Amino acid sequence: MPTSAPKPLLEVKGLSAGYGKIGVLHSIDLAVHEGEAIALLGPNGAGKTTLLRAVSGLLPWQGQVRFGGRDLKGASPRDTVGAGLVHVVEGHRVFAHLSVFDNLLLAGYGMPRRDRATQIEEALSFFPEIAAKRHDRAGTLSGGQQQMLAVAQGLVRRPRLLMLDEPSAGLSPVLVDRVLAVAAQLRDAGTAVLLVEQLIEKALRLADRVYALARGTIVLQAKTDEADLPNRLEHAYFGQDVSAPLWS
Amino acid sequence: MLESIVSYGLAVGAVYALIGIAYNVMFTASRVFSFTAGALGMLGGVLGALFINRFGLPVSLGFLAMLACGAILGVITEIVAVRPVLKSLDQHLYVLSTLALALMIQQLTAIEWSTEPQPFPRLLSFGDSLIDQKFWLPVLACIATIVGLELLYRHTLIGRAFLAISEDNYAARAIGLPEQQLRMTSYAIAGMIGMLAGFAGGEVLLAFFANEPMLNFYGFVPVALGGMGSNRGALVGGLALGLFQQAANFLVGGIFASVAVFVVFIIVLLARPEGLAGGTAARRV
Amino acid sequence: MDAAAPSAAVRAPRPSGLARLETAAPFILLAVAGIGLPFLGEDYWGVIATRACIYWVLVAGLNLVVGFAGQIAIGWVALLTLGAYATSVLTAGTAMPALSPYLALGVSAVMGAIFGVLVGLPALRLRTFYFAMTTLGFATILTQIALAWQSVTGGGIGVAGPVFPGPFSTPWGFYFMCLGLAALCTWMTANIAASRFGRSLIAIRDAEVAAEASGIAKPALLILVFLFSGATAGVAGGLFASLQSYITPDAFTFDLSVLFFIAILIGGRGSILGPLLGTILLTILPEFAAPLVAWSTFLYAALLLVIVLAMPGGIADLLDYKNRRPLERHREIVPRPELLSQLLGWKADATSLHLKQVELSFGGVRALDGLDLEIKAGQVHGLIGPNGSGKTTALNVISGYYAPQAGGAHLNDAPLPLAAPHTRAARRIARTFQTPRLIGSASVLQNVMIGGTVDGHCTFVESLLTLPRHWRDEAMLRDSAMLALSSVGLEQLATVRADRLQHGELRFMEIARALMLRPAFLLLDEPAAGLSTEEIRRLGALIVAISRQGTGVLLVEHHADLIFDICDHVTVLNLGKILADGTPAEIRSHREVVNAYLGA
Repeated sequence: MPTSAPKPLLEVKGLSAGYGKIGVLHSIDLAVHEGEAIALLGPNGAGKTTLLRAVSGLLPWQGQVRFGGRDLKGASPRDTVGAGLVHVVEGHRVFAHLSVFDNLLLAGYGMPRRDRATQIEEALSFFPEIAAKRHDRAGTLSGGQQQMLAVAQGLVRRPRLLMLDEPSAGLSPVLVDRVLAVAAQLRDAGTAVLLVEQLIEKALRLADRVYALARGTIVLQAKTDEADLPNRLEHAYFGQDVSAPLWS
Repeated sequence: MLESIVSYGLAVGAVYALIGIAYNVMFTASRVFSFTAGALGMLGGVLGALFINRFGLPVSLGFLAMLACGAILGVITEIVAVRPVLKSLDQHLYVLSTLALALMIQQLTAIEWSTEPQPFPRLLSFGDSLIDQKFWLPVLACIATIVGLELLYRHTLIGRAFLAISEDNYAARAIGLPEQQLRMTSYAIAGMIGMLAGFAGGEVLLAFFANEPMLNFYGFVPVALGGMGSNRGALVGGLALGLFQQAANFLVGGIFASVAVFVVFIIVLLARPEGLAGGTAARRV
Repeated sequence: MDAAAPSAAVRAPRPSGLARLETAAPFILLAVAGIGLPFLGEDYWGVIATRACIYWVLVAGLNLVVGFAGQIAIGWVALLTLGAYATSVLTAGTAMPALSPYLALGVSAVMGAIFGVLVGLPALRLRTFYFAMTTLGFATILTQIALAWQSVTGGGIGVAGPVFPGPFSTPWGFYFMCLGLAALCTWMTANIAASRFGRSLIAIRDAEVAAEASGIAKPALLILVFLFSGATAGVAGGLFASLQSYITPDAFTFDLSVLFFIAILIGGRGSILGPLLGTILLTILPEFAAPLVAWSTFLYAALLLVIVLAMPGGIADLLDYKNRRPLERHREIVPRPELLSQLLGWKADATSLHLKQVELSFGGVRALDGLDLEIKAGQVHGLIGPNGSGKTTALNVISGYYAPQAGGAHLNDAPLPLAAPHTRAARRIARTFQTPRLIGSASVLQNVMIGGTVDGHCTFVESLLTLPRHWRDEAMLRDSAMLALSSVGLEQLATVRADRLQHGELRFMEIARALMLRPAFLLLDEPAAGLSTEEIRRLGALIVAISRQGTGVLLVEHHADLIFDICDHVTVLNLGKILADGTPAEIRSHREVVNAYLGA
C-alpha cells in the first residue's frame, strides 16, 4: 500500500447494527475511496441492506463511520444526504401518486431553487426515457422506469457517494444493463458508487473492488481484476469447496 | 321548517367535517388518530369567547390569536402525546396518551373557564341579509379549508412532502425529507383547522367545555364513514351527518336522533371496517 | 391425544407454600383492613370504602377486557348505568311488578352480560381507535336514553335506588355485602388470570399471531370476557344505585368511565393486584384534599399520561421486584434432546403434509406459481431460495395465514382449511416465526404454556371457580412446559420475564412453545437468524432429534450450512416455483441452484 494513499471517502470501522435484539452486522470494516466503484455481494440475510441503512442513518448503529472526514454518529438520513452520501433504497420505491417531476423535486427538498432546477435537469439527462414522462404520475411508470427514477432522485443532490441497493431486482437484463451503465458513467465522472447486487457478473464488470458479506461479517475483500475470484466468492458464500466451476 | 333543518344541519355538519379533516391531517402525518381533535374544536369556541368577549380583542386579532393557539396546541400534541409513543412497539399507546391529553384540556377548561355554556361573540357586522352568519360561517370555513389544503398538497413543495411522508415513510426518510419537522408542521396545521371549526361554529355550538367529547365522536363519524385520510369523504360525511341529525331532531326528537346516528355508524363500520371509501389492511406475518 | 406423563426429574417446580403466601399476602392484608374498618368508628370512611368495593366489582371484570385482552373499552360506564337503572326500576316496580332486590340484581347481571357482549363485539372487527369511539358512543347514548325514557327511568328526576333487606339495610351491613362481592370478584378474576384463559387473553393482546398458531380463537374468548365483565358491571350498577339511594342520569358521567379505565392502566395490565390498588387509590384520593376534588379528573388524566410515557407497566411493574434480580450474563443454551422422547413419544397418524398446485399473488406480484411441496414425517425438509422466492409465503400458506388463489395445503389427504391459522394446532401442526412473537411481560414458562392451550379441557366457569379440572389442566400444562423448556435448554429461565431474554434464547423458547403441541409437523421460519455459530450447531442437533422422534420438520432458512448439515431433503424455490429438489449433496452441486443464489 503506497504511503501516500488518500484517505477514504467513506470509512467504516467496527460497525455493528441490527433490529431490536437481533444483531445482524458484527464489527464491519469497509472503505470506499473517491471515484471508486465498490460491489457489495453476499447471500440473502447476510446484512447488505442493513449495512447501507446503517451508513445512511436509517438505522441506529455502533462503531465508527466517517464520511469525507466527518463523523456520522447520530446522523439522520437528512444529514447524510446533505453531506453528499445518498442511499437509493431497495425495491425502486417512488411516490406513486406524485408526478415524476415532483418526485425529483422532493429529492431536492431544502436545496436552493436554482441549483435544484439545474440538477434535476442533469439527473434527467442520464435517463431520457423518463425525462419524456416528467409530468406523468410515477405510479404509471414500469418497474424499470421507476428504478431509473429512483436513481435519478439520488442524483439530484449531486452526491459524492451513491449507494444503490439491488437496482436489478425485478428488472429485465436490458434495463439492468441500462442502470448499471449509468452507474459506470457516474463513476467515470468522479462519483463514488457502492453497489449491492445479487447479479455477481454484472456487478464485477462495473466495480473496481469487491467486498463479500456473509452472516453479518466481511468474508472477502479483493480487487475485481484478481485471479480466481469466482471460486473465492463461492467459497465465501457457501463456506465449502466448489465442485463445479461457476463460469466455464 | 325545512330551511331550519338545512341551515342548522349544514352549519353543524360543516363543523363536524372540519374536525374530521383535523383528524385526517394528523392521521396522514403520523398514521395515528388523536383524541385531541375534539379538544381543538371545543377550544376554538372557548378561546374565541375568551379573546373577543372577555379580553375585548377585535375580531381579527382574536381570530389570529385563536389560530396561533391551534398551531401551538397541535405541536404540543405531537411532541408530548404522539412522538414518544410512535417509537414504541405497543401499537395502542397513542390512544391512551392522546386521550389523557384531551381529558386534561377538557378538565382545565371546565375549571378555569366555566362548566356552563357561554355565549360566543358575533363575528361580523355584515352579511346577515339572507341567512344568518352563524349558518354560513362554518360552511365558508370548511370550503376555505378544503380549498386551502388542496392548494397546499398540489401546488406547494411542502404539501407534496406531506403526501410523500404519508404514502411511503421509509422512502421519504431515505431521500432526506425532514420527517420530524414535517410531522410537527402537519400537526400545527391540524391544530389550526380544529380550532377554526370551533371558532366558525361558535355561535351554533357556544363556548362549552362539554363540546369536546361530542365533537370527538361526531367529528370522527365522517372519518370512519368516509375513509381514513380522505378529506372529501370527511366533507360529505360531515355534511350528511349534520343534515341527518337535524332532520331526526326535528322529526323524532333529540334522543332518537343520537341513537339513530349511532346505530347507523356502528352498522356501517361493522359492514365495512375500513369505511365506505375502502382502504388496505397491513401484512401481519 | 393424551399427554405422556413427564418423568419426575423435570416436574415443574410447584409453587411452595411460602411462595403462595407471598402472592396472597397483599390480598389478605387488604381483606383484614377491610374487615377491620368498622372498628375505626368513622361512618364516612365506610361510605368511601363501600364505594371503592363497588367500583372494584366493575373494574375487576373490566380488567379482563382492558388489562388482559387489551381492548380499549373506555365507555364501560354504560353498563354501570344499565345495571343501576335495571335494579332500581325492577325493585321499584314502575315498569313491571316489583322484584326482590336480589333477584333484580341477578337480572341486572344477566342484562349486563348481554349488553357487555353487544358493546364489546365491535372489537372483533374494528381497529383500536374505532372501537374506543364506539364504546364512548354507547355510554353517551345510554345516558341520553335514561334522560328521555321518563316513564320508566324518571328522566331527569331520576329514580330511587334499591334497599337490600335484612342485615344489609344498614350502612355497615351493606358495606360487608359489597366487601364480600368485591372479594369474590377478586378471587374469580385471579383464578382466570392464573388459568389458560388468562394466558390466552394476554396472548391475544400482545402476540395475536402466535396465539392463533397455538389454536386460540379470539372471538369465543372475547365473548366470554365480555359476558363476565358485563355481568360484574351490571351487579356493580345495582350496588351503586343502592349506595347513592337515588340515581339520576348525571351520576354516570364520562369522568366515572375514565376513572375505571385509568385505574386499570395505572395498576398495570395483566395484573389483579395493580388495578385493585389503582381503584382504591383513585377512589380515596379526592377525599384527602378538598381542593383536589374539582381537579380529580385532571389529575387522573395527567397520571395516565405519565404512566403511558414513563411507566407503561404501571404499579404492578413497580411491585415486581422479583424481575429486577440480575440475570447471569454469560448464559448458554444447552438443549437436552434426550428428553424429547417423553414429550413427543407417540406415533401420529399423519404421515405427510403437502402443498398441491398452490398459486398466490400479492397485488401484481406472483409469490407462488403452482407449487407442489411434500413434507414427510420423521424427515427434516429444507426450503431455501433467494429473497422473494416464496419460502416464507409457502410456510404461511401451510400454517393458514395466507389463503392461496388456487390449490391448498393437505394433511395426508384431507385439505386444511384456508385462511384459518387457529385450526392448525388441533391438527398438531406447529410453527415458529421469523421474528419471535412473545408476551414480553409474561414469564418464559407462561409463554411456553400458551403453546399447549388446545390440550386444556376445563371450561371458563371451571377456571373461574377453580374446580378440580382446572387444577389438573394447570398441572399438566406446567409439567409439559417445563419438559419442553428442559429439552431446549432453557429451564433455568422459566420464571424470568420473557422480555429480559436474549434473542437466541427467544428463538429456542418459540421452539419449546411449538413442542407443547406434540407436533406431527413442525414448521420453522428462519430459526437460525441472529444466532451465534455455536447456537446454530445446537439448534441443528435439536432439530434432528425432533425429527428422529417422528415429527416432520420444514426448515425455511438462509443459512446454507445449517441446511446442508441437517436436512434429509432440500427443495429450492425461485420466483415462486421449484428450481430443484433432492438430497443436500445433489442440491449443493446443482449448477442452476448455485447460479440462482449467486445471481447470473
